[in-house]
Amino acid sequence: MNEAKRQVNAWVFIAPSLILTLVFGVYPIVWALKYMFYDYQGYGEAVFIGLDNFGRMMRDQAFWESVVNTFIYAAGKLIVTIPLSFLLAVILNRALKGRHILRAIYFMPTIISASVMAIVFYVIFNSYNGMVNQLLLKFGIVNAPIDWLGANYALITAIIIAIWGAIGNYMLLFIAGLQNIPEDLYEAASIDGAGPMRKMWSITIPMLGPVLQMIIMLAITVSLKGYESIMVLTEGGPYGKTEVMYLYLYKLFFPVSTGSTSIQQFGYGSAVGFVTALIVGMVTLIYFYISKKLNDVY
Amino acid sequence: MKKNKWLHTSMALILAAALTACSSSGAVENETSAESTDGTTKLVYWTMDRHDAGYIEDKIKEYESLNPGIDIEMKVMAENYAQSVDIAFSSKQAPDILKVTSLPTWVKKGYVEPFDDHMSDEMKERFKDLIIEEKNMIDGKVYSLPNTGQFWRLIYNVDLFEKAGIQEPPATLDEMVAAAKKITEVGKESGAYGFAGNFKSPSGFERVAYPTTTLGKGMVSEGYNFKTGQFDFTVYKDVAVALRQIREDGSMLPGSESLDVDPLRAQFAQGKIGMYFNHSVEPSVFKSQFPTEVRWAAAMPPTVDGERNGAAEVISGTYLALSKNSEHKEEAWKFIEWMYSDEVQVAYQEAGNGVSVIPSVAAKAGAPDIAGIEYFLPTNEDAIYPANPTGVTEGRVEGVKKGDIFNKFIFSGGDLDKDLADLNARYNAALEKARAAGDTNVQPMPDFNPGDLKGTLVKE
Repeated sequence: MNEAKRQVNAWVFIAPSLILTLVFGVYPIVWALKYMFYDYQGYGEAVFIGLDNFGRMMRDQAFWESVVNTFIYAAGKLIVTIPLSFLLAVILNRALKGRHILRAIYFMPTIISASVMAIVFYVIFNSYNGMVNQLLLKFGIVNAPIDWLGANYALITAIIIAIWGAIGNYMLLFIAGLQNIPEDLYEAASIDGAGPMRKMWSITIPMLGPVLQMIIMLAITVSLKGYESIMVLTEGGPYGKTEVMYLYLYKLFFPVSTGSTSIQQFGYGSAVGFVTALIVGMVTLIYFYISKKLNDVY
Repeated sequence: MKKNKWLHTSMALILAAALTACSSSGAVENETSAESTDGTTKLVYWTMDRHDAGYIEDKIKEYESLNPGIDIEMKVMAENYAQSVDIAFSSKQAPDILKVTSLPTWVKKGYVEPFDDHMSDEMKERFKDLIIEEKNMIDGKVYSLPNTGQFWRLIYNVDLFEKAGIQEPPATLDEMVAAAKKITEVGKESGAYGFAGNFKSPSGFERVAYPTTTLGKGMVSEGYNFKTGQFDFTVYKDVAVALRQIREDGSMLPGSESLDVDPLRAQFAQGKIGMYFNHSVEPSVFKSQFPTEVRWAAAMPPTVDGERNGAAEVISGTYLALSKNSEHKEEAWKFIEWMYSDEVQVAYQEAGNGVSVIPSVAAKAGAPDIAGIEYFLPTNEDAIYPANPTGVTEGRVEGVKKGDIFNKFIFSGGDLDKDLADLNARYNAALEKARAAGDTNVQPMPDFNPGDLKGTLVKE
């Protein structure tokens, strides 16, 4: 096969995904990059306003509160999810009876729709007849129902739901990583007299380095971008206490409540979208820089 | 060479298909309405209303039997209706007839056709008092007309009121606070509380504040003062303080902060709520969605001091619209005209689907066949207000929106005076921008007198 033919074949294979990426991936980004400098509500004439949308964003207390909420939400989710899913992976990677069934059970939340999950959790957590409060009251742990979806607890509840939904997914990725560690390393360590903890610290964790780096990076980006279950559970309320960046952004393009912003804000939304993407990108880059060492496998 | 030709052709086709899918303009004709081979004209009708779907389906069958050449396909799209309409118009698949959600926006987007050239003189006469600029008329052209309205009331549990020794529904906000406290005192043991609101949504506060304040003061609708042409949210201070007091007293259903309207209704139907605010859809909700054994009633909203200087605002103005892209405008209009007829609308109200705001219908319609609707029938203290610019302004408001400010005060307290001054400043700045951008032509009405609205729907 000559070079020209090889080139043609390569382009034939690349073309479908390239075209789809250009149309559905690159074009919307270019569109948003243009309209973030415009006052545009989705109809009529788009008016060029320079950096006004960014000025508005700097003054927009609701947006910055959503940024803070996002970091609390992401941190809360990661701090619990990563160690817990790792622990589960280690346990379920052993020759345990019924481990396949347990893996399937833990993985199940990953395949359940976020909206359905949020509705089920609403039934569990609501303060007037939710199961959690009924149990707490029954066992005398609390005297009065806790408003799990109220201002003081709503974000914590959202984090609990996010953890429940994510553990199985990361557990599976960790299991895949664990299964790639050569068994003879553990055998050699055993001969040298190493105990389970020593093996964990000196073999498992270092050997998982690149996988761990990838899993944490995935977890960071997914957590910073997550909003679906919050949208169904609280719509970002009460009064913005669970508003996260991407939910705030979503509402600018697709208003969800008759009482809140009911007019689409394509121009301002594009500016907010650009900055939120920048925030997520910067956090990921910083993480990559800090975690470079994880990539060094012995 | 031959292979390259095929390759280029295939790639061009893929690219064309992808770009066509994304295209929002072009010469592609509307694809939904069509003439079938047997000569039948197919019309597509979209709505987001579920509660009257059965009735409308029956009416469509009746219309089809009266007009053999017409086939109407109704689609109920309860979720993401506005987005579905946007997508349908950009992909040239818009329906011929649409239930309206946001008329001024739809007119600006070029979705809908004016009624003016289609309406008969008789029809214009029937609706003459219901045509309002920026509600159903834009720049002097009528794009939709109302049929029913939302008549707002305080809904209360008669059993709990009697148990608490309360004889009458509250006429003032103070009485409402006191009633909520008494009900909670006698009901808490069984899990019943005096008051609840669906404060999950920013509209939770508005459902209480708007009817209360329009009936009591009448000068301000959705925060907009008709006389001054400016936003003034200080009129809602008394309502916010009263609701805060109910919360402080422990008389509000736990979880109201995150309550949606359907769970609220479910709790009311179980006898756990003494009072809440909602509109004339509730009787049909309690008939079909949440059947209840509870003895309930509804009353005009309480006011700050018992004075009723205005009229409780009835949310109404639009119903059906005719798509600008329809290939069968005449046929679609005939159906719309029939749907607006007294014959259909009288039966609509009598079937309990809603309360009509059309005077000729209100005069003819008998009592609807649904328990509790009698509390929501029009009184001389219910009225449709002029259009306000709140909807178009809200999108331009910087920072936290009104609903969240009030909800936060009710549940967490704070310096309300300072927040209201800030809210007024931000909304008025946004209003100025909206006016400058041509989003609204609503101007101050120095002669506006809310008392004049009394009796505009019914005299008695």
